[in-house]
Amino acid sequence: MNRRTLLRHAAQLAAAAALGSLPQRGWAALPRPAGWSASEEALLDAIGDTILPATPGSPGAGSVAIGRFILLMTADCHPPAAADAVRRLLAEVTTRAQAAGARPFPELPAAERESLLVALERQPPPARDGVAPWRHVKDLTLLGYFTAEAGATQALRYDPVPGAYRGSVPLRPGDRAWAT
Amino acid sequence: MSSHPTTPGARAHTYDAIVVGSGISGGWAAKELCEAGLRTLVLERGRDVQHLRDYPTALANPWDLPHRGRLPRALAQANPIARKCYAFDEATEHFFAKDAEHPYVQEKPFDWIRGYQVGGKSLIWARQTQRWSHHDFEGPARDGFAEWPLTYDELAPWYSHVERFVGISGNRDGVEGLPDGEFLPAWEMNDAERSMAGRIEGAFPGRRVVQGRCAHLTEARPEHLAQGRGKCQSRNLCYRGCPFGGYFSSNSSTLPWAARTGNLTVRPGSVVESILHDDATGRASGVRVIDAATKAVTEYFAKVIFVNAACLNTNLILLNSKSRRYPAGLGNDHGLLGRHVAFHNYRGSLNASLEGFADSYYSGRRPTQPMMPNFRNVTRQETDFQRGYMVFFSAARRGWTRGQGAPGIGAAYKEELTRPGPWGVYMMMQGETIPRFENHVRLSADQRDPWGIPQLVTSIGYTENDERMIRDFLAQGRAMLEAAGARDIRATDDRRNPGLDIHEMGGARMGRDPRTSLLNRWNQFHTCPNVFVTDGACMASTGVQNPSLTFMALTARAARHAVDELRKGSL
Repeated sequence: MNRRTLLRHAAQLAAAAALGSLPQRGWAALPRPAGWSASEEALLDAIGDTILPATPGSPGAGSVAIGRFILLMTADCHPPAAADAVRRLLAEVTTRAQAAGARPFPELPAAERESLLVALERQPPPARDGVAPWRHVKDLTLLGYFTAEAGATQALRYDPVPGAYRGSVPLRPGDRAWAT
Repeated sequence: MSSHPTTPGARAHTYDAIVVGSGISGGWAAKELCEAGLRTLVLERGRDVQHLRDYPTALANPWDLPHRGRLPRALAQANPIARKCYAFDEATEHFFAKDAEHPYVQEKPFDWIRGYQVGGKSLIWARQTQRWSHHDFEGPARDGFAEWPLTYDELAPWYSHVERFVGISGNRDGVEGLPDGEFLPAWEMNDAERSMAGRIEGAFPGRRVVQGRCAHLTEARPEHLAQGRGKCQSRNLCYRGCPFGGYFSSNSSTLPWAARTGNLTVRPGSVVESILHDDATGRASGVRVIDAATKAVTEYFAKVIFVNAACLNTNLILLNSKSRRYPAGLGNDHGLLGRHVAFHNYRGSLNASLEGFADSYYSGRRPTQPMMPNFRNVTRQETDFQRGYMVFFSAARRGWTRGQGAPGIGAAYKEELTRPGPWGVYMMMQGETIPRFENHVRLSADQRDPWGIPQLVTSIGYTENDERMIRDFLAQGRAMLEAAGARDIRATDDRRNPGLDIHEMGGARMGRDPRTSLLNRWNQFHTCPNVFVTDGACMASTGVQNPSLTFMALTARAARHAVDELRKGSL
């Protein structure tokens, strides 16, 4: 098969793909799962954006609708105890933020948000029914960010069709890891 | 029980050949029989899957998948068995049979992984393809548990025949216990693997590390371009179906090739209930089919029947093919049908870290890995267990997942995770298990499936021989990883159930002696020669190799024999 035929096949395939593909605007366009408020989602966005903030060349996790992602994954893919774990983490963060400066966590300066979460990571809320609240939210933050388009293509390198495998490639300073 | 093609209306249901199953061996039967000019009916119990058209996730990016590939809880809970398969995820689940829809009885735990669609498991196989050597064919007789009725030399030309068409990548390594084939260029090892290979071979004279051989087109030759297939693009999204035809499947290769002859009819949604035996002629006359959707019963007739329903379903159909002549199932005069089922032992694996190679990386995603041909009991019995194992290993730099469960917050943590991590090593075994009379499948006396067919009972387990082999591999693996410079070596026996290897074999084994086997050297029933079994069910032993290449070679050889016998008028 020549390249043109291949590309035509690929194009036909893409057109035919009945994949439950996401709306153009991605995660943010999906409805928030029942039982969660906009402010809870915003708090998760802020926590995610503190774990993985914007850095030169790539946005932070808050810009990939990480709160919506965490809530949807928690609802769809995890046991019911995970929702309780998320609520307990949000309560813990809220309490610590109030103790620190009487301002909601999302409104704290980045350095204060970071030191709050560093302290929380050292003494996280205990696991219950097999789900550790901090670990649950942090793991989903990493998953949601590094598999989002921005995370995969800007923070990491993504090549959907590498064409070949090369087993020995010099790693230069600044080279990023492959997303997949 | 006897039906005959002269009954009214039968003419429209009569073909020259019937193939039961459209997976990797059924596809080959269809190709060879159609090319020989036989009007061939392929019966597939699952839905139709057309190459390109029916690969809905093949081009999806990670962010296109609603759960980024993770399984929604409802899907996972509904499929406690299928979900154990490493290839079962959000992007591939449509190619796996669902547990609840296809019940069976586990007298002993057996994870039965099935692909019910046109193409069968050839869409979702692991694609590793090594020839057996003469040691693998001769060893079972040496060890006294089975006797193969054919030799490596007899099968070698058929290996070549299928390798050229399928497209197998590999190096000509000159290893006596793992014969070279008709190879396309091999995949590369990375720098860490090359170093490990050299150090293992240096520390263990006689052991070899070679690059894996797999059914991927590292180069598209004219015979592959003619199939409409192109070069593998190193995406490693194979289990979704490949729009480039980069790996071999029935859908991309044998079935469209067979269709081009004009001799092929594929009938999806056709659950084969039994093979019909004509007691007057001593031959099978056809098959009885239950429509998967309407449950209407139909019969189809042919001069020759290939049973390629995949190992355990082939056993089920044969056991359910009861006639006056064969009250216990086709060819089952001695009660051996369904017996001597074996599989591959994958329980042992090791993880380790590897220091160094900090400035070395790789690009693209490779569909294979280095492997070590069996080095245990090859020419004589040397250990406290019988037979041996193949070893696979790979080295890769860890990705962002190393941040999960690791402390860290903020810009420095994020930046670190965007760089290639330290090297990790994974090593695993693929061990031969010995077919035992006790390890068997049979029909349930009281449980039926939604089509009214008796459910299959699985009674298959490990033995002390397997336990000893695992201990040996874990000790040898550790020693080899230490020699290779690896650190933090962690050995695991995952105690998985049989079946999850998806290499089940036997039940209708080949052999020279009709008293101890069901099939002859051409995969024909000793007593019903117009029925051929050329999928895993025919295997008298398992070898240490990934089995599909051998199934394909046996199928092509048997199909040629069937055509020759038909032409001579002896079938």
